Amino acid sequence: MLKRRRWIFSLVAILPVLAIFAYVRVYPIGEILRLSLHKWDILSREKPFIGLANFQELFGDSLFRTALFNTSIIAFGVLIITLPLALVLAALIHHRTRSRFASFYETTIFIPHVVSLVPAAMAWKWIFDARLGPLNAVLSVFGIPPQAWLFDPVLSIVSIIVLCSWQALGFAVLIYLVGFKNLPKSLFEASKLDGASGIQQFWFVAVPLLKPITLYVSVATLVSAFNVYAQVYVLASDAQGAPGRQVRVLVLDMLENTFRNYRVGYAASEAVVLLVIVLILTAIQFSLLREKGTR
Amino acid sequence: MTRSTTLTAFRTALAGTALSFGLVAGMASASAQTITVWSGYPELVPFYQHVAESMREEFPDLRVEVNAIALREHERRVALGITSGQSAEVLELATSIAARYLENGLLATPPEDVQGFVADPANFGEFFVNSASYDGTVYGMPLFRGQSALYYNTEMFEAAGLEPPTTMEEFDTVAEALTQRDGSGNPTVSGWSMRLSGGGSGITEKFGINMFQHGGEILESDGNGKWRANFASDAGLATLKQYLHNLFVTNTVTVQMPADAEAFEREQTAMFIRESWVIGDIAAKAPDLPYATSTLPRGSIVNPVQLYVVGEGEQADAAWQYVMATQEPENLVWLLDNVGWLPNRSNLDFSEVIAEKPGFEAFVAYPDTYEFFSMPAIGPIDEVLTRAAASLEQAFANPSIAEDDAAIMAVLETIDNDVNAILAREGLLAE
Repeated sequence: MLKRRRWIFSLVAILPVLAIFAYVRVYPIGEILRLSLHKWDILSREKPFIGLANFQELFGDSLFRTALFNTSIIAFGVLIITLPLALVLAALIHHRTRSRFASFYETTIFIPHVVSLVPAAMAWKWIFDARLGPLNAVLSVFGIPPQAWLFDPVLSIVSIIVLCSWQALGFAVLIYLVGFKNLPKSLFEASKLDGASGIQQFWFVAVPLLKPITLYVSVATLVSAFNVYAQVYVLASDAQGAPGRQVRVLVLDMLENTFRNYRVGYAASEAVVLLVIVLILTAIQFSLLREKGTR
Repeated sequence: MTRSTTLTAFRTALAGTALSFGLVAGMASASAQTITVWSGYPELVPFYQHVAESMREEFPDLRVEVNAIALREHERRVALGITSGQSAEVLELATSIAARYLENGLLATPPEDVQGFVADPANFGEFFVNSASYDGTVYGMPLFRGQSALYYNTEMFEAAGLEPPTTMEEFDTVAEALTQRDGSGNPTVSGWSMRLSGGGSGITEKFGINMFQHGGEILESDGNGKWRANFASDAGLATLKQYLHNLFVTNTVTVQMPADAEAFEREQTAMFIRESWVIGDIAAKAPDLPYATSTLPRGSIVNPVQLYVVGEGEQADAAWQYVMATQEPENLVWLLDNVGWLPNRSNLDFSEVIAEKPGFEAFVAYPDTYEFFSMPAIGPIDEVLTRAAASLEQAFANPSIAEDDAAIMAVLETIDNDVNAILAREGLLAE
């Protein structure tokens, strides 16, 4: 009887939270799924059902394919840069925990994550500037000719990857640091007694033990990178005469289809594709990184 | 005075004060009225405030809030605002954008006196009345228009002994002569700043202006409200070829160079084609810039912008009164003088402004043979322009096609196919 009461109490206690979650999270996703099967121009009261026509058009749409390709390159680029770099930096900071500069290192790396996105992107826009940017000035010291960072189709994507990685790094390092601090010291001491070097301890003890952290960081980084928008908007915006090549990404394409082309159903089908991609990638990451025997 | 008397007096005073506050507040809310104007041109804020100021004497209780943001964001907020019932009362919209809202009955029909004012040929030419109308009914108040002319740096032209170009062929030779280069031959000051980057519909719109000079338009009408893409045509070929010639053959401009009004104001380009607002911008940012304007070889684009009202009742009445006040000749002359956008109302005396700012002459005093065109007021026009811009932007980054007519034509045919697909989807494709 007591158990049943507790169960009812728990249910009642959690119900408001579940209701809010369902309203602000689940319902919009359901609504997007529904809209993706309709033709709607945001202004009209009519929303005719068109089945999978939006999806059919989507895969023949060269702009969508470009956006999907660019977004995927950016997302995986950010993941490939952020994950190992964050792991190494966190290891180095953890190794220097007793240093009086330890908190300075942590803060320095975390600051980009909390800095407002727009001013940060504006600063990077100046850094990447082909004529006046310090990046080309530094490259010229090594005899490398100035690069058109924000105009070249490849370099403009590289620039966005660099900016996104710079921002994502702080969060990843912070999470890894928490992971490092929770690793059992006995294992490191044992490996030291067995003659393992610092690098061997890192590679054969820390990295495997940090797998759950790596899973979380990689999922969070990848999902966040697939939703890239503001960085692209600032670096290569739509402003008249803006000194940058427009890099088309999925969120930008969705916004354009919704508010400029008045095609909400079509934009919703793009959102569904993005959702499916992120879900599949997350599932793959879980299957690759989850500890064997755990559920 | 007894304690109870004091208490009663205190209560009475308190009640009296509360009543007075209530009455004052009630009177204030009954008489004060606020209307909001949403604009997509931040430089127009002083104009809208000037209009509100001019109404103060007659309407002392009318408060006007002006909220102006960049055009693309403005278009987004209008879409969200109107559909959610949170829109401002007065909206500034181009004809092509307003078409969507009018199709769905989301903009208010003006009172008869406003409709009569707009329809009166003494106030507006037929083109502007049509731009403000939908299905034969006037909905908007014509305010200003985007119209293009050539801006050129007079010092650079004089130093080279050149006159502003009068044909598109001359644009190439003049641009080549005016380009300044460093020791390696790389341009440091572009001869002709063209719209090459930044994405969005502006690239295609500027391409369309140049294409018009070459004798064509990006969309062809069948005369029955249907359209067909016309990029892959002689005029389209000549236009894209000219862009690529300047980019990769004579190298008078590069995609990396500073561009647009900002570059012109900093003397980083010798000439460029733009609307009249640049004159106000130069006056504010580079008042000592030696420049003049000139008409284009064949004619100019005209992009009319109107004011529309959303809602009904007292708020809408006040909004229409404000909209009418924008049409006071004094306010419209102020608009040209201080902001630089060209008012659409006829029979205004701009002589004083032109005497002071001769740059406006190319916009208001043009040859009789000068032609005007505008982008079709069809729902998907922005999508058409944006779609074409994506391909044009790629072409501008491809030197390998610069001197290959077949390859250039292939790019234009791809654009035609993309655009026609959009038109077909919307039921607007001509047979």
